[in-house]
Amino acid sequence: MERRKFLGLGVGALALLAMPKAIFAENYRVKLPDVWKVKNDEKAKEPSLEGTNEAIKMVFGSNKTEEGKVKLKAPDIAENGAVVPISFKAEGAKKIAVFQTANPEATVAIFDVPEIGIPDYSIRIKLQQTGIVTVVAEIDGKLYSANKLVKVTIGGCGG
Amino acid sequence: MRIKAKSKNGITTVKVMMKHPMMSYIEAKKKGKEANFITYVTAKVEDKKVFEVSTSQFLSKNPYMKFAFKGDFKGKDIEITWTDLKGNTKTGKKKIK
Repeated sequence: MERRKFLGLGVGALALLAMPKAIFAENYRVKLPDVWKVKNDEKAKEPSLEGTNEAIKMVFGSNKTEEGKVKLKAPDIAENGAVVPISFKAEGAKKIAVFQTANPEATVAIFDVPEIGIPDYSIRIKLQQTGIVTVVAEIDGKLYSANKLVKVTIGGCGG
Repeated sequence: MRIKAKSKNGITTVKVMMKHPMMSYIEAKKKGKEANFITYVTAKVEDKKVFEVSTSQFLSKNPYMKFAFKGDFKGKDIEITWTDLKGNTKTGKKKIK
């Protein structure tokens, strides 16, 4: 009994010791290096969600998403594709990821929502051409998504 | 790095602008330079994680981000750290208003 108790304490102490390092544990560059390499179909005449769907599956383990719960704000028309402001929120989300169909690769960013974090973010992204921006959120083990078509009049990757 | 952070009604809102060229592979090829962009950003207050994102070459140059978290942290420091593809890192600190 005593020994078991002692061991139990030891494990607890180790877990505590490991915590400060583990608080930033979700670097998806390290964890999922391939998700950043998922290509978009650049030859498609219409924006193709093929790359987006593949990347969603890699990040969330599935790409069966439902509509709703994710609010995405993006411009209808972006005069300058180099700076496209988007904002999105998804109450209760633990993980949120942003994808698009306009650039060579599909994945833009993956947010891990901390314990006290509020899943309400704004960022500025590049869109090389007209495309669909997709935001996916994991809420209570379910996936929700929102899409928005953004028309780009000047490309974002041309410099 | 420019940071604005404010606590109000139990919610702290942070706006940050990070100085970085965010050179995508295509842009780098065109300019004859090496691609490099911020890949990971975290923020903490009093050693508590408040923000974490893994990023790509498709964030705009000098990336701007806005995020929020629960709690009143007026007077405390927020610390934001980015890492780029080449392994450079930078940390900015600002007192929360």
